[in-house]
Amino acid sequence: MASRRLNHDFGIPLAGGTPNAFLRERASATPLAPAEERPRAPHARAAGTPVAPPITTSLRALQEWFAAAVMHPVSVASSVAERPHIGDEALRVEDVERVVLPSDQLSGLERLEIYHRAYRARLVECLADDYPVLQRALGEDRFEALCHAYIAEHPSASPNLNFFGRHLSDFCRTWQDSLSTFASNLAALEWAIVEVLHAAAARSLSLEALLDVPTEQWAAARFVASPTVRLFQFAYPVNTYFQACINGSNPSVPPRGESATAVFRDGPTIWRMDLNRPMQALLASLFAGVSLGDALDRLVAAGEMTEDQAPELIGWFRDWVGHGFFASVDLSRASI
Amino acid sequence: MSNRFGLPELGIGVGLRTVHYDYLLEHWPSVDWFEILSENYMQTAGRPLYFLDQIAEKYPVVMHGVSMSIGSTDPIDMSYLAELKALRQRTRAAWISDHLCWTGVAGRNTHDLLPMPYTDEALSHTAVRIRQVQDFLEAPLLLENPSSYVEFAGSTMTEWEFLARLAKEADCGLLLDVNNVFVSARNHQFDPLAYLDALPFDRVGQMHVAGHTDHGTHIVDTHIGPVVEPVWELAREAWRRAPGTPILLEWDAEIPPFEEVHREAMRAAECGWRVDA
Repeated sequence: MASRRLNHDFGIPLAGGTPNAFLRERASATPLAPAEERPRAPHARAAGTPVAPPITTSLRALQEWFAAAVMHPVSVASSVAERPHIGDEALRVEDVERVVLPSDQLSGLERLEIYHRAYRARLVECLADDYPVLQRALGEDRFEALCHAYIAEHPSASPNLNFFGRHLSDFCRTWQDSLSTFASNLAALEWAIVEVLHAAAARSLSLEALLDVPTEQWAAARFVASPTVRLFQFAYPVNTYFQACINGSNPSVPPRGESATAVFRDGPTIWRMDLNRPMQALLASLFAGVSLGDALDRLVAAGEMTEDQAPELIGWFRDWVGHGFFASVDLSRASI
Repeated sequence: MSNRFGLPELGIGVGLRTVHYDYLLEHWPSVDWFEILSENYMQTAGRPLYFLDQIAEKYPVVMHGVSMSIGSTDPIDMSYLAELKALRQRTRAAWISDHLCWTGVAGRNTHDLLPMPYTDEALSHTAVRIRQVQDFLEAPLLLENPSSYVEFAGSTMTEWEFLARLAKEADCGLLLDVNNVFVSARNHQFDPLAYLDALPFDRVGQMHVAGHTDHGTHIVDTHIGPVVEPVWELAREAWRRAPGTPILLEWDAEIPPFEEVHREAMRAAECGWRVDA
């Protein structure tokens, strides 16, 4: 999708909108697991070989055993070895076929491994859908290793995968990897896209309503953030990196350097807007519920803005309001 | 109407996929109906619904879910059902379907369609839950036969016996996935026609076809690529038993442009859909 530029005096170009390809799909299909072809398991048994009588157990015990095997971080055999029982019945790896029959091609263990591979493949696919640029930055193998660690730490407890990846930025921060901070920043940016995509579109403050605010009430005005906006300050220029990837180039991981970005939805399209330092600081204060007057005083006191920059504010607000950054303005604490 | 629930004969449908949104909203192609993946439009208040509302305004829609976990021994997730019911009201979906499977236990969700053991205990357990779900949803539930890669040693009946008995005991409908019958028949070496012969076709309200991936040792239900001829042949057998049952193509991996997906779905008409018995 082509990026567009804003026509305004103090414009920060909007980075491109988010194309449909970034919307993930959940389906009833079984994903193709990366290691579909594996050597035969040591316990594979030739078809027709008699097996011991089936283990009959409760549905509950069977499901708990099966789920543990499928979700085990290493393999079905490891799960069975670590948990050598099903319900009250002892069950060794060699006896798996007393629970799961072999086919003429695969042992019981190998058949279970199909589900084991599909479990992680599906969740990795889900994370790759939510974090396509992080996947590109880390490379397939490193990203998959990150995902496997994440899946083990944060197994899903929801019927819905829409928010399965919500902890990944925090998880990256604690990840023992030289790119952990960059990965955490990039993941935060990509997760904001997911959050904004799913957020309810609230009625936003109009430019007319903003201009109706009497001049003497501006200082006390409190701006309520729209649910479709997220604001970030990063240690890396991750939005620039993200945009370069979207544009099809193959950028290297950039050196550290502070950046600030707003992610927001305007109609059906999701946008990213780079912010300069005073913009970010002002928006952060306003989104935290600080009145406009106090927020500006803080900026000036911190040396991040001078009084002669005040006229620029009009342009900033025109942009922010035009893109629906604010749901409303609260004047209840303004003196009349 | 050939099914006992009076469900409408919608024709030949296509699975609604996000990569086709822009095309659909620009061209509004002539399509009999769409099947949506219910969970894609749940736990969201944003952009997915922006598209869905427009599609549902113009086309008949049915809802197909992957997370009901009807066979699980965990309690039924009532908040999930409430959201499902609200989505049906929003889309005016003709029916709701999900799978004969469980997706998790002990509060964990694998997001896979895990196989049931075919036992009397599992049958009774699942039938009770289906009745509860149908009562709550105030709508017929169509239960789909899943693809499976294992058979349980403790099963005491075949999948088709289980499904036929379950549909009767729970008084629910069935979604016959022809590709899944084909996949499971290969994986478990049974006769797919014996499967069809045992099904109560007056309860089949919808059918699926899809592509799959053959690994030699087993087939995986990947919903990739066009439908292979043997699956169309099996579908033809199904249509002989239930002419005119709504049929839908699922294509979920390496999805081509919409026209190609729709063209593949329309092959149903050339392959015997709506044949007379």
